Amino acid sequence: MTVSSDALARPRAPVGERGFKYLLIAPSVFLLLAIGIFPLLYMLVVSFVGIDMMAEDWSFKGLANYKAAFADARLWQALGHTLIITAVALPLELLLGLAMAQLFLEKFPGRQIFVALLVLPTVVSPIVAGATWSLMFDNRYGPINQILGWIFGKEMPLLWTVDPTLVYPAIIVAEVWQWTPFMFLLLLAALSNVDKSQLEAASIDGAGYWMTFRKIVLPAIWPVMAIALLIRALDLFRIFDIIWALTKGGPGTMTETISVFTYVKGFTQFEISYAAAVALIIIVLLTVAVTWMLKKIEIAR
Amino acid sequence: MFSTPKAAARFTRTAAASLAFAVVAAGTSAFAQSAAQRAVDAAKKMCNGKTITIVWEAGLQSLDPKNYSGPEWEKLTTCKVSVVEVSTSEMFTKIMQEYRAGTGAYDALNVIPAWMPDLVQAGALEQLDAMVDKYGFRDELQKIAPTYRDNQMKVNGKIYGFPDDGDVFVMYYRKDIFADAELQKAFKAKLGYDLAPPKTWKQFMEIGQFLTDSLKSKGIYGASQFREPGYGNFMFQERFRNEGGKFFDANMKAQINNAIGVKVLTEWRAENKFMPAGVEKFGFVENLATFLKGESAMTISWPPYGRFAAGYLADEKALDWVPKSTVAGKVGYALPPGGHPQLAAGFALSVASTSKNKELAYLFIQWLNSEETSMKRVQLPYALRDPFRDSHFTSKEYLSKWPDAKDYLAALQAGSKTGLLDLSLIQTDKYEEALRQGISRLWAGDDPKKILDDVAKSWDETTAKIGVDKQKAVYNAWAAKGGAYPKK
Repeated sequence: MTVSSDALARPRAPVGERGFKYLLIAPSVFLLLAIGIFPLLYMLVVSFVGIDMMAEDWSFKGLANYKAAFADARLWQALGHTLIITAVALPLELLLGLAMAQLFLEKFPGRQIFVALLVLPTVVSPIVAGATWSLMFDNRYGPINQILGWIFGKEMPLLWTVDPTLVYPAIIVAEVWQWTPFMFLLLLAALSNVDKSQLEAASIDGAGYWMTFRKIVLPAIWPVMAIALLIRALDLFRIFDIIWALTKGGPGTMTETISVFTYVKGFTQFEISYAAAVALIIIVLLTVAVTWMLKKIEIAR
Repeated sequence: MFSTPKAAARFTRTAAASLAFAVVAAGTSAFAQSAAQRAVDAAKKMCNGKTITIVWEAGLQSLDPKNYSGPEWEKLTTCKVSVVEVSTSEMFTKIMQEYRAGTGAYDALNVIPAWMPDLVQAGALEQLDAMVDKYGFRDELQKIAPTYRDNQMKVNGKIYGFPDDGDVFVMYYRKDIFADAELQKAFKAKLGYDLAPPKTWKQFMEIGQFLTDSLKSKGIYGASQFREPGYGNFMFQERFRNEGGKFFDANMKAQINNAIGVKVLTEWRAENKFMPAGVEKFGFVENLATFLKGESAMTISWPPYGRFAAGYLADEKALDWVPKSTVAGKVGYALPPGGHPQLAAGFALSVASTSKNKELAYLFIQWLNSEETSMKRVQLPYALRDPFRDSHFTSKEYLSKWPDAKDYLAALQAGSKTGLLDLSLIQTDKYEEALRQGISRLWAGDDPKKILDDVAKSWDETTAKIGVDKQKAVYNAWAAKGGAYPKK
């Protein structure tokens, strides 16, 4: 007996019915395009014209804004500051988060309460965290200088947000305080899911702590850790609130990051087209960096 | 017709007097009421449940429309007032963002006069001349103290805002310390002249150092100052010009990095040594707390310091945050060294060009700014609005507020006459931002000359970008004003 291919083929839905499924997803697609793609395209258009505080000049300016951005030393310095903060804060958050997660793997009384308390900084708005740390670092009334004074037995009028040797540590402390719990939470979840039987087997085989961590734990938690690193790296790259609250990019432009620079250009000096060009350059740089990282850590697979 | 020549003359005089009265009466009949009442009457007719949204500086300033003028306006006219509180540093941004968005979210605005050229060029402010004439406010505007009236009201000869805040820097000093016989004797022996509030910056440094040396053991420093860059911007502008500096030369090249500029920054750093530790971060509140606690013998600041120091209505709930004054009755008032204080910031009332209720917004600000209403507003203990009309300085009510109020008001009035305007150009904030960054670098330890060279370079770049001729025209117009530079 033969069965015709026509009989095996799935019956085709009428044209109207086929269109219906597209109709169903159309609102979501439209919404995504409206909030995602449209602003990007609009920004692209704006970056090629000459809108600033004084004029809404929509005439085509070619690559003028991009040329100005590439020639702007302050922009590249801001990029450098951003990379410094990312390079220091990210490993610190990872190491502290991992250490805390290891600590909380064991069950102990009040564990849930401690976990909840530790996660609190993450739910605080970053600008509030920045303002709080600004008070903490206050040279006259802040507790940090008071505590240091008790430790060293003399008045410690340290100017945390003015002194060039202290200003980066102040920013890093505030940033690490707020976001280490995020790392901790993800890594705690990942560590909790490591296969216990493998750990027991390693223990029976006489593997030490570091060997077990390197050969069993790390490969098991790596996908989660990599995603956590990626999310935090992207967050750190656009760090704004804490710096704005603590230093506003100062002294001078010493702690000005890409986000602070773009905000100042776009929203205090209203160089709208220039700020759009800067933002697009940063988006391109980030996209390239993230794609490269994803390939490198093989998460995309 | 007349029985005697005398009777004829009497008739002529009476007729002339009657005619004169009739002419005067006719002349004023159109505006028989006060400007405040005219605003109220006109607003009543057009309110219809409308709400006026006004942008106001956040904090104590906004308690004026929230606690007093807003509710009062509603009672008089049935129009409601919604206050949008914005911090000073964000006000320009918010106003411009709203203007660009064109939503008409703001009806009336508080603007810092130095921003006016920028806001007018952008088109964000409504020109007010026609409404000033329609509602007969021109005469009352003339009674605003000349410095504010002539310099903070118009752009290109047209009215865009009503000066509404006499924000002049005043030197506050401790009368009891300066009158101390032992200190006077020791000072004269050491420096060869009488201990008195300093008239020059050289004297300021000498007196400050002497008082710190003499009183530090009692927890008193010779002086404290604004040093935080946002405030330092005003202090630099004031001192640089009092020392003879000009911001630009005839070719619009920045001169801020000349010997005078370097001297100012170098002296600032030296002065910090006789001021409280951490003075580099002193803004309004830090400096106020230091002075009110009696830890500083001299300081320079805006007029509210004088009221707070005198303990004027210190029990007012809104002033809970202000440290209790330990120096009430001990504070003297003088012009800062050089005699030309900065008319730092200040506020003018304007109407947003995108407002959907322009006339109603106008009527509200006319009422706020009028003789009657403003007299009450500048006496609100918590609202930070400072005397700006001639009548405010001589008000019997105000003069009786505390024992030294007459000296206080006299100092404010003197400052308004010799005060110096904030630099106001196209994109003023770019120039100020460079200066603020420079000041923050000074506290980070950079070389004053290098700092000011960089600031000047930044200023020149900004000028070149805007267009040298275009900016030069704006600068020349500003520099031609009475309060731009000290009169020789």
